[in-house]
Amino acid sequence: MKKEIQTANSSLAVDKVSLSFGKILVINNVSFQVYEGEILSIIGPNGAGKTSLLNCLSGFYQPDSGRITYKGQEITKIPIHRRASLGIGRTFQGLQLFPGMTVINNIMSGRHILMKTNFLQAFLHWPWVHREEIAHREVVEEIIDFLEMEAIRHELVGNLGYGLRKRVDLARALALEPKILIMDEPMAGMNMEEKEDMARFIIDIEEFKSIPIILVEHDMEVVMDISNRIMVLDWGNVIAEGKPEEIRTNPAVIKAYLGDADEEVNHY
Amino acid sequence: MAVLPCGVHSANYSQDKAFIRTPVQWVCFIAFLLIVFAGPFFFPSRMLGIIIITGITIIAVVGLQITVGLTGQINLGQSAFMGMGAFTTATLAANFNLPFWLSIPAGGIGGALLGAIFGIPALRVKGFYLALTSLAAQILFPLLITRMPSKWFGGPNGLGLAPAKIGGFTLQSDQSLYYLIMGVTVIMLFFAFNLTRSRVGRALMAVRDNDIVAEIMGVNLFTYKTLAFAIGSLYAGIAGGLWAYYLRYVMAEQFNLWSSVWYLGMIIVGGVGSILGAILGTVFLRALQELITIAGPWFGQVFPQAGGEALWYSGMNIVLGGVIILFLIFEPKGLAHRWNVLKHSFRIWPYPYL
Repeated sequence: MKKEIQTANSSLAVDKVSLSFGKILVINNVSFQVYEGEILSIIGPNGAGKTSLLNCLSGFYQPDSGRITYKGQEITKIPIHRRASLGIGRTFQGLQLFPGMTVINNIMSGRHILMKTNFLQAFLHWPWVHREEIAHREVVEEIIDFLEMEAIRHELVGNLGYGLRKRVDLARALALEPKILIMDEPMAGMNMEEKEDMARFIIDIEEFKSIPIILVEHDMEVVMDISNRIMVLDWGNVIAEGKPEEIRTNPAVIKAYLGDADEEVNHY
Repeated sequence: MAVLPCGVHSANYSQDKAFIRTPVQWVCFIAFLLIVFAGPFFFPSRMLGIIIITGITIIAVVGLQITVGLTGQINLGQSAFMGMGAFTTATLAANFNLPFWLSIPAGGIGGALLGAIFGIPALRVKGFYLALTSLAAQILFPLLITRMPSKWFGGPNGLGLAPAKIGGFTLQSDQSLYYLIMGVTVIMLFFAFNLTRSRVGRALMAVRDNDIVAEIMGVNLFTYKTLAFAIGSLYAGIAGGLWAYYLRYVMAEQFNLWSSVWYLGMIIVGGVGSILGAILGTVFLRALQELITIAGPWFGQVFPQAGGEALWYSGMNIVLGGVIILFLIFEPKGLAHRWNVLKHSFRIWPYPYL
């Protein structure tokens, strides 16, 4: 049973954001809010601007206009690497890991901002550097338990299968102790079992860690099942927003995905 | 990840991150150090010289490994950074009478500064283009040194310096320099191994594997790419400082592009990304070089019709270059990987796989 979301507690707010590449308008005046403790899914046909929107949130793209605020603080223009320390975690479309490092080191690198050792201390490996390593390793091991990766902790990520790599990606994002988690197609290319595992992990994260999740995903079954709210993008515009059951029957959404019956006739 | 020896398992995270796990490993490690430091008692002085040069080269190559292998930033100027360290040390020792225990670290800092300056473009350029940027350091370095007032760096003639002194003792003989240089080598290796298992080492490796994602994880790319160059050339600078005290004469020509390329070759032979690989690669190529130096004249005598000694000497570069090419084709992961495979198969013997 899905819980009611308190719309008073906004975590991340996007206000009239537009982005264009040359003459192509990728995101057109998009506004939305993410509330504490909800899973917000962003869906839309290919090329709708979903990933571009996420890249605005992460800082890869600077929106042409509009504001992005996170917990009341404007983050539209702050550098990419500083967003991590604000608590914005992200997983990636496809495989964006550190393949030459072990699973442990991949996840530990997610705790970069939470650790303090500088390079001179690293050289000497002082007792307190050792203690810091151990303390953070304990947290990482909890995440490994949570995502059921005990058997592969010392494997090189480059040697792992696709489904496990996606899990390492999620683990690394969680290691950052995010206050909001942005997930870009966590289930793309997975088989049914891997998808079910991942869906379970996403629900668990939202439930146990109670952080809001922004989810971009193409698998409609998953989206309809686990989202609290869905936003539909098409050609950079928000064409619908609401609960899964509302989106399912929304004519604009159906039109965006399946096309218009009349239009179809006109083509031929 | 090689399997651990039979019966060894981690009961806590400290054990899991330790480099030396078993009593036997400790015994081997200490015995190795003892043999190295007992060297002057049984090695002939020619051998001592070879080991000293190898030790200095190991420091420079391990530094290059940190920049290139660990962080993935191509650096063709390691020899120039080493020269910067050598000249900084030499000028501080010759003109300001600084003792060696101050001038060598100062040489390291001198190298690190030059390295950091040439590392700044790494934020914007990658791969081939970055190689060219660091090549610029290598080309500019001799011009910079020889054009400075000759009082600073000796101009085109180079700079001589007095032997290192500590207390009333002068480090002039090969034996005493051997202890100084091996001591520093061991310390620098200790630092390098520690770096790879720390937060900083992980950030550097993250930059190597995927710099965009590393930035999302909160790694400041500018800081860490510059730091990679600074640490790498800090090692080069220390190596240069030791070089200055060993030869007691530094000239810009000693630090040429040729050596920079050799250092890269040593990394390739040893295994890119592994500190152990940098050590193995350096020792292997240096040993091969010395072997050819000894075997060259002998071949010249046995086969005089092949063209005499000169041919065998020039043949050295062909052999060494050939070795690097063979490694690239047959074992691109280098000697360090071979060593791990060997350890692995020894530990799971008599089974072929685990």
